[in-house]
Amino acid sequence: MNLTWTQRRKLTGLLFVTPTVAFVTVFFIIPLIMTIFMSFHDWPLFGERAFTGLENYQELGKDRQYRKSLDFTFRYTALVTPPIFILGFILASLVRHNIRYIGVFRTIFFLPVVIGLGVSSLLWTWMLDDRIGVFNKILLDLNLVPKAQLFLGRPNTAMNVIILSVVWKTVGFTMILLLAGLQAIPDELYESAEVDGAGYFRKLIYITLPLMRRFIALALILSVIGSVLSFDQFYIMTRGGPRNSTISIVFWIFNNSFTYFKMGYGAAMSIVLLGILVALTGLQLYVLREKE
Amino acid sequence: MNSRKPLLLLFALVLILSSLPLAAQDDQISMTMWVRSIPFQTQALVDEWNANNDSQIELTVIPSAEFVTKMGAAIAAGEPPDIASIDLIYTPAFAAAGQLVDITEYVRELPYADTLTPAHMELGRYEGRNYAVPTGVDGSFIVYNIDLFEQAGLDPDNPPSTWDEMLEAMRAISALGDDIYGYWFSMNCAGCNAFTFLPFIWASGGDVLSDDYSEATITSDPIVRDALAFYNTIWEEGLVPEGASIDNGSNFVSAFTGGNIGMAGMGNFAIPLFTNDHPDLNFDVFHIPGKEGGAASFGGGDVIAIASGSEHVEEAWRFIEWTMSDEAQIEIYAANGQIPVRLELVDNPYFEGDDRQMTAASALAVGFTPYTTVYNDLFNDPNGPWLEMLQVAILDGDIDGALELGQERFTQIMEG
Repeated sequence: MNLTWTQRRKLTGLLFVTPTVAFVTVFFIIPLIMTIFMSFHDWPLFGERAFTGLENYQELGKDRQYRKSLDFTFRYTALVTPPIFILGFILASLVRHNIRYIGVFRTIFFLPVVIGLGVSSLLWTWMLDDRIGVFNKILLDLNLVPKAQLFLGRPNTAMNVIILSVVWKTVGFTMILLLAGLQAIPDELYESAEVDGAGYFRKLIYITLPLMRRFIALALILSVIGSVLSFDQFYIMTRGGPRNSTISIVFWIFNNSFTYFKMGYGAAMSIVLLGILVALTGLQLYVLREKE
Repeated sequence: MNSRKPLLLLFALVLILSSLPLAAQDDQISMTMWVRSIPFQTQALVDEWNANNDSQIELTVIPSAEFVTKMGAAIAAGEPPDIASIDLIYTPAFAAAGQLVDITEYVRELPYADTLTPAHMELGRYEGRNYAVPTGVDGSFIVYNIDLFEQAGLDPDNPPSTWDEMLEAMRAISALGDDIYGYWFSMNCAGCNAFTFLPFIWASGGDVLSDDYSEATITSDPIVRDALAFYNTIWEEGLVPEGASIDNGSNFVSAFTGGNIGMAGMGNFAIPLFTNDHPDLNFDVFHIPGKEGGAASFGGGDVIAIASGSEHVEEAWRFIEWTMSDEAQIEIYAANGQIPVRLELVDNPYFEGDDRQMTAASALAVGFTPYTTVYNDLFNDPNGPWLEMLQVAILDGDIDGALELGQERFTQIMEG
């Protein structure tokens, strides 16, 4: 085959994108179309399926737990995002400069990210246990509590301790993203600001944050999507309890699809959740857009 | 060169011949079997079978709370086990979905078919056809600690027969010490409380479902409220350890073996555990009483069935039939303290003289099992309405809210 240089270039480009296109098609486009298709059916996990039109979507309006789960998921997202960001930013600031042994600290802060969320959830479940957990041992030894606390068994504390565990688990990832942003800012800008007499907070507000906009946007979007789609920590640490107060939306989709065998209904909920996430991400991109 | 040919041929022949036994082994029937994590004698049955038969069974134990989810996923993936020991209450759902092999013809030929535990046979039937036979029989009752009864000045030969008497006994036992409690319940375990709490309602003539299972009667039957108030009192007065409120069932059996619990809801499966592993535990059992007397029990346990799509239906049935034989029922079931699934075999040399086994077995006479295809969604699901209702009423004390919530979510599930 004799190809001109332009043809070769086009062909090379095509070959480069093919794996990605194939991957996205097989693992995203096709499942998405199937999910949309399923959502219009009464689709049991096994047995006969039947077309039901919009019935699954109408059913959503009557589902008390669905509303509860939506409410819970967004409350959780709103509560877990700020600590991840504030702590992530502080950690990133601490490990920003390339000084001796700084790699050790970066590694320590990042380490929880590389263990699985399932493993970390189990780890925290044991640490929070009322009989053998280390937290209760410390609190009791310091006489801070009169008796062992059932952290995961009380609605008011369950959410807080789960947030604590998730912040520990994910803050390293946000730290890395923000660190990349911090290091992309030229030192000259800070130096000239200092010459002009700017203090720490002025530099933060007028130099650091505006120049990190893209990195913050990326970290925020990834973090919010992760929180809205959270499942493992609730499934493992509380099993949705106490009083079904920690059933996230994905947890409820899982239950309907695989425990109640209502795959069609689960699919309908997934599509609605997808819509919500697209809108939420669009909103974040709009707010954090680069102003020309 | 040519002289090598015969040698090569011979070598090839040896290879082929030596591979023959392997090929024969591949023909041997090997079946898979699933059972939920309940201490029935299933492993002993399978071991005995594998030791004496050409066909081999590979047993997998699935955590009880995950059984329906895992079984459903396996069926959907086209990879169900050949044989499944299923919690009897799920059988209607699986049979209705066409996932179990119709074994009506096999059952008809059993000479002892009439003596198989009726609740299990009933749950194993769907539209007049048999899909499962009993394999583990398990009624619920109350187990009590004789030593604690005596220390508290209660008469162990005269256990409580009403809710008030139970409360009195719990108070007396709890008063014995800081670490001693009158009662135990696993209030974060949905199935445990269907098994041991529902009978309190039934024994008082009430129910949470109408007789034809068409609607929920949680708000309309006053006994439901009374029973919730009864358990709420136990919690409020601190007659159970605080940890009971978050126990997901992992301490359902073991809590009582500590020796500091006066009474607890229990099932037959626990008796051999108590007698074998805790010989010092001085216990007896009594039937779960109604508010003013009476008795009821949850007819629980497992049935055994063949999954649709199994390639070894004949052999699977041969195994199932053997598990119900005199040999297996007496020498494996009764010898290990498990109640036989054939009622005429409850009178056996191993149970003779053990009043506890006889009382426990007699619980089956007052045993009752709900028949509904949505049992899991209503009762056993850890996120289902049953457990949430109990927790809101018993632990939070909001009985009105709990009844309303239970009624609404039960109705929603039953209407599909």
